[in-house]
Amino acid sequence: MPADGASCPSQRRISRRAAVRGGAAATLAAARALVPGVFVGCSMGIPRRGRTVPVGLLHSQTGTIAISATSLRDIQIHAFEQINAAGGILGVQIDLRAPDPRSRTEMFAKRARQLLDDGVAAVFGCWTSASRKAVLPIFEERKKLLFYAVQYEGNESSPYVVYGGSVPNQQVLPALDWLTSPAGGGRRKIFLLGSDYVFPRTANFIAKKDLARRKLRPAGEVYLPLGHDDFTMAVQQILFSGADCVLNTVNGESNLGLFRALAEAKIDPDKIPVVSTSISEDELRSLLPEQVRGHYAVASYFETIDTAANQRWIDGFRNEFGYDRVTGDAMEAGWCLVHLWKAAVEKAGSFETEAVRQAFRDGLEFSGPGGPTRLDPRTQHCSRFFRVGRIRPDRQFDIVHASDAPLDPDPYPQIAFPGWRCDWTADGLTRGPEVALDGDV
Amino acid sequence: MDFFWIYDIPPNTLALLITAGFVVFYWVGLIFVRPFLRAFVRHTPGANDIVGYVLSCFCVFYGLLLGLIAVTAYQNVADAGENVTREAAALSALYEDVSRYPEPHGQNLRWLLRDYTRYVIKYAWPLQQKGIIPQEGNIRAEAFHDRLLNFEPRTPAEQILHAEALRQLNHFLECRRMRLFSVDSALPGSMWYVMFLGAALNIALCWMFHMRFMAHVLLGGILAAYLGTMMFLIIDMNQPFRGDVSITAEPFEILYHRMNED
Repeated sequence: MPADGASCPSQRRISRRAAVRGGAAATLAAARALVPGVFVGCSMGIPRRGRTVPVGLLHSQTGTIAISATSLRDIQIHAFEQINAAGGILGVQIDLRAPDPRSRTEMFAKRARQLLDDGVAAVFGCWTSASRKAVLPIFEERKKLLFYAVQYEGNESSPYVVYGGSVPNQQVLPALDWLTSPAGGGRRKIFLLGSDYVFPRTANFIAKKDLARRKLRPAGEVYLPLGHDDFTMAVQQILFSGADCVLNTVNGESNLGLFRALAEAKIDPDKIPVVSTSISEDELRSLLPEQVRGHYAVASYFETIDTAANQRWIDGFRNEFGYDRVTGDAMEAGWCLVHLWKAAVEKAGSFETEAVRQAFRDGLEFSGPGGPTRLDPRTQHCSRFFRVGRIRPDRQFDIVHASDAPLDPDPYPQIAFPGWRCDWTADGLTRGPEVALDGDV
Repeated sequence: MDFFWIYDIPPNTLALLITAGFVVFYWVGLIFVRPFLRAFVRHTPGANDIVGYVLSCFCVFYGLLLGLIAVTAYQNVADAGENVTREAAALSALYEDVSRYPEPHGQNLRWLLRDYTRYVIKYAWPLQQKGIIPQEGNIRAEAFHDRLLNFEPRTPAEQILHAEALRQLNHFLECRRMRLFSVDSALPGSMWYVMFLGAALNIALCWMFHMRFMAHVLLGGILAAYLGTMMFLIIDMNQPFRGDVSITAEPFEILYHRMNED
């Protein structure tokens, strides 16, 4: 050691001050590197918390309507999952909320309120008209959009509902055209059978008006409560009436009872075909093939549509939800509605209801698996193809008739609702004289 | 207070952060607190020996505590993992049972079980990983329950099958409830309090040692780093569905794959 106490460089001790200074510098450097990751999540592989927009799916998953509504829910989940996987809408991921209204009308209203309280941007849902009518005032009051995918009776329009399914001028009236034509067997004695709620009663009122125009009268008209499954008496009435055809507006699982009763009465579908408005491939799964084959259904979409786009759509759904899943009319409409909403949001650049409604004004189009569809901005209903399917033993349909092009919607056919019309791009709803659905035709 | 963001940090980074936090705490205390603590003992003969005895004794108790807590946390993860496996097994057995039902009941029931399994994998698991108990699985389980109860057996064979399916359903629902209960199971706050207080006291005792500064920095830093590593391990295992040591949806994924192979 040098005598003067000076340390030589190789043996220099680190002073406490130097150690503190060095340690502080190292700590600050480490903090500078790590803090952004901890507090902002912008580095070191920490995932960003992306913005999401909640969207409601209001479909019954239990109860009498669940058999149909669950498939509609699934296809809309599939649509939104695809949209999210592709980056979302306007770069925002969709957060789906799917409560269960349990097939009970009052629960639809309750669940709709809960969804709107949760701040959903839009709701896709309802199956029966009763459920739609239960929630409609809530959507109008809160100024939010409901997208309804099921065919229904018309005689309704709202600036806050977008209707994706067929209305009577796209389903019931073309069905009567076909049935009374030589291709449909030239039927003249049509029996009207339905569940006792607003869709069958209104659809049959319009059907009776149309039959009267053709100077025909229905062979009979019977309504049974929704969920009813003993159709023995109704089938006896059909036989006694001498009907040569049944227009069936029975909904849900009641169809099991109806077709069982028809089979027990040994009704031949070639002599008295049942033409159903609310039976798709999904409902057919629950019906025994030997009881339903040969009867008909009228819809805009059948799974057997022979196009590449349809096959891709079916394959995509089955890859996600199972090899034996089937698709149907309401599912196709539900799929198109999701994509029409997406197109409207992207066009508006916003999820706000009024901006989205403004985006409807120029008309939106989407090429769905069943063919092109267009959202009519005046009525906020969609154009739909009309197709007739004959039920096969494998629970599928042979398409025996199809319209050449999508039919434009008219929720107020003048034959039944004279003076009524709506135009949400101009003066809204124009009311005509009140119409009593149970009145004389 | 929910420290959910901790589990968003990749495990390597989290380990580094916690360990570095303890070491920095030790070093900062070494500079600012040690001079005051050392004042109590520096003039006592054999002060280092006394501090060493106290520290040894303290470390035994604290080490035992940390070890037991680590085992408890691991046991919690293992139990939750077993619940998940049992639920998937019960679901698989139920799927087999309903596959023997007459059509269309069998198909409807299989769809509902597939839907449930898909929901668990795609939606419930990410929620569980955020410490949120998923709610919509209840609806799916209920939908299956409803539909199963709607089936009316017509033959003695169907009666036996139906009874077995109902028994299996109850077992499945029980396992499902157990899984949901374990989503937010975690060590209680009092344990965290004792653990962190113990770590702080452990470090404070080290500050009392009288030795060269750089030796203090090095030896104390090593001790603090190991304490931090232990804390990281317990934090990572604290919640069964969060963090690196967590339960995955693999049993359900295998089952769903098999359901779709049919």
